[in-house]
Amino acid sequence: MQLEEKLEQDFFSCLQQNVTEIESILGSPSDLVKRDFTIVEQVNLDASLLYIDGLADSDVIENTILRPLLTNEMNESITALSSEQIKQVLTKKGLQVPSISIVANFNDGIDAILAGNALLFVDQYKQAFSLSVQGWETRGIEEPQSDTVLRGPRDGFVESIRTNTALVRRRIRDPRFRIQSMQIGKRSKTDIAITYIEGLVREDLVDEVLQRLNNIEIDAVLESNYIEELIDDSPTSPFLTVQGTERPDKIAAGMYEGKVAIFVDNTPFVLIVPTHFWTFFQTSDDYYTHYTTASYFRFIRYIAFIISLTLPSFFVMLVSFHQEMIPTQLALTIAAGREIVPLPVLIEALLMETAFELMREAGIRMPKPIGQAVSIVGSLVVGQAAVDAGIVSPIMVIVVATTGIASFAIPDYLASVSIRLIRFPILIASGFLGLLGFATTFVLLVIHAISLRSFGEPYMAPYFPFNSRDRQDTMIRKPFWAIETRPADVKGNEQRAGKNQKPSPNKRRKTRYKR
Amino acid sequence: MRIIPIISIIFFVLVTLTGCLGKEEISDLALVTAVGIDKGEQENILITAQIARPAEARGDAGAGGGTGEPMWTAIAEGKTIFEAIRNLARFSSRRVYWGHNMVIVISEEIAEDGIVDVIDFFTRNNELRMRTWILVTEEKARDLIPVKTGIEVLPGESIDHLFRYSPIVAEAPKSDAMSLSMGYLREYTHPYLALVNLKSRGIAEGEDMPEFGNLPQAELSGTALFRDDKMVGKLKDRESRGFLWFIGEVETAIIPIEFPEGDGNASIELRDNSFQLTPKYENGEVSFDITLETVADLVELGVPTGKSYDELFTLLEPILEDYIQEDIEMLLNKLQQEYQLDSIGLATYFRAKFPQYWDDVKDDWDELFPDMAIVVNVSAEITNPQLFRLPTKPVKE
Repeated sequence: MQLEEKLEQDFFSCLQQNVTEIESILGSPSDLVKRDFTIVEQVNLDASLLYIDGLADSDVIENTILRPLLTNEMNESITALSSEQIKQVLTKKGLQVPSISIVANFNDGIDAILAGNALLFVDQYKQAFSLSVQGWETRGIEEPQSDTVLRGPRDGFVESIRTNTALVRRRIRDPRFRIQSMQIGKRSKTDIAITYIEGLVREDLVDEVLQRLNNIEIDAVLESNYIEELIDDSPTSPFLTVQGTERPDKIAAGMYEGKVAIFVDNTPFVLIVPTHFWTFFQTSDDYYTHYTTASYFRFIRYIAFIISLTLPSFFVMLVSFHQEMIPTQLALTIAAGREIVPLPVLIEALLMETAFELMREAGIRMPKPIGQAVSIVGSLVVGQAAVDAGIVSPIMVIVVATTGIASFAIPDYLASVSIRLIRFPILIASGFLGLLGFATTFVLLVIHAISLRSFGEPYMAPYFPFNSRDRQDTMIRKPFWAIETRPADVKGNEQRAGKNQKPSPNKRRKTRYKR
Repeated sequence: MRIIPIISIIFFVLVTLTGCLGKEEISDLALVTAVGIDKGEQENILITAQIARPAEARGDAGAGGGTGEPMWTAIAEGKTIFEAIRNLARFSSRRVYWGHNMVIVISEEIAEDGIVDVIDFFTRNNELRMRTWILVTEEKARDLIPVKTGIEVLPGESIDHLFRYSPIVAEAPKSDAMSLSMGYLREYTHPYLALVNLKSRGIAEGEDMPEFGNLPQAELSGTALFRDDKMVGKLKDRESRGFLWFIGEVETAIIPIEFPEGDGNASIELRDNSFQLTPKYENGEVSFDITLETVADLVELGVPTGKSYDELFTLLEPILEDYIQEDIEMLLNKLQQEYQLDSIGLATYFRAKFPQYWDDVKDDWDELFPDMAIVVNVSAEITNPQLFRLPTKPVKE
């Protein structure tokens, strides 16, 4: 008999047959625990409890299932009762498990066991009880490794989807907070939850997200990037149109702006859609520091973006084609540095970029002590020795190092990597065609970015297309008393703060000394 | 999806088959920083190019070593400027590149013969900038170009800086390729260029020391005047300052004046100036009124005095006014009587104010110019004694 056929069957009335069938479906794994016992002493009804060790909490099973069942004397004879009635008896008197449900076929029964539930079979009943006793070892809530802040909450998502949704719910005590759950992955059966605030979110957005998720056919989902790539608006673009974060406050903030969050079990990274280009330059810190500081930091990040995207290509373009555009003094300095360099500027730049990427990649994966050694050796080799040996010019080292540092100043690591990728076509085009190549690739890039959409929202909004209301939180962050409205994607309930929230002594005096 | 491989093949072919045509790295170029133009033998033109040696000009920036000379000067000859420049390539190991040229020095001989070819060449060539300084020298340009002058590593840079920071002396106009071609191309104006000369003003150690030092230095002082493209005259330092009023280039200037009481001098620095030239046309007579107002600082007072600042200022103001007036009158005298040349562009002022009468006078302008009445009114106000709150008093009465 095929496995599928076995799964299709309903439970048998014989207890032993059911247990054997389940063991044969699962292949009698060593972590499947089977506990046989009798309940209701007068009739000595046989029962069997099946669960997976490590997924179900054995302490809970002992205290809330076994002990009550074995010690309680049940007066009524339950032999003649239906499953539903037994359930009532067991729930009301016998078991102290938070949730009990009834399963009738092997498919659901196996699912329940694999999800960490305990399956209780009672002899002569064609149904089984799925008792939720999940409890496995999880990581505690820690400060996220990415997206760290100087000021602000330090809790981060963990691998358990329930904990994650709870972390967000704690920030949104709104009855309109909605969670919709599903499972994706034929074999992995990964729990997925989408959350949003009804009344703020565009309804078609929720439908769109649900539809895209339902269309996914894949055997396993191990991380939220599986989902991200399968629901991406522009799968071939280097730009990210879905943002992932480890920070519950970021997700909560997004939901207050009418976005939809997608939680995936077993990963601390939660997705949020739709995503605009500019959100990759915003950090939680922006909202937890004074607005002038926050705007200044944002400005720095935009500069970092421009530098990390264009600086090497700009330099190569000027030095190999447009020497007249360099100020004379600088031209002499550059020429002096290049005097004994044997390579063309483009090759020199590519060489240095490669060295830098090697160092970065080596440093990331290595254990910390070795990682430090890598970066020290790397900076010595690339920084000093290469210049002394005359392989590269000192200015090229400065250019590449500045570019590298600038790319690290972009808060979202994945976004910064994608910018690093775009940099190479621009670099090569400027090295071959000068300003023409630089301008062409840059314009192509801009055209491409403008054409992108993230779940129906223009990617470059609110600048392309221009929406003056939404600018209050992109290039600069206006103070909270000045941002009275939610972003334009939000439908209905657009007011987020009252009028005239700017604190001032006059206002207070008016109310306090009013006679 | 066949389109992606096709596009990548096209891109690959485009990039690899076009090669790097037109690519010249900065280290393959000979950056000219200054150029001199002289008359050679048999009507030939001599080009003296000062070319930077980047490794030497920028000490430690690269791997140094070599001659220790920050520049390399070469002379080439040719029938035309272009030919001479092309001939430079015969012995220059790198392509001669003009994009960073800062100074063009024209010898007086060439200037007197006419500089129309210079103007044409240096404006036509796309590598040259219109902000290149153009000067005239009384010496041979090829003597001036290789001279190590000023503090900068490259002499061309020194001359460039001399122009940028010359307003404090206000004795030579800032003449670049732009102002030269404007002066030449516009109707009824005449070009002018700054004058540069060598003077022994620098000091080298361990040699005989004349009064003013033994190292020749380029000195920026005076103005060369042109009629159309031919140089016809020169203005000295004070006449040049008078000239600068008319072309609007006096920003600050130091005026040394004799203190009327006692033995000593005072220096005044002009701070805020306003210069107004009002053309008049009465009964067919062209005349001009000049109103010059200046607010100045007292920057030096070498005579102890018992007077208060108010008294001092009322004493000094008329002297300052006279001095400035003298500058302008010396200039007008020279232009009207000696050269009979309207270098200061009075014609444009007149034309702007009286376009309706311009046709009546334009043909005779050169004849009318020497006899035009030009009235100069200078009013000076000294307001600021700098840091001394009270004038220096004599120690012993």
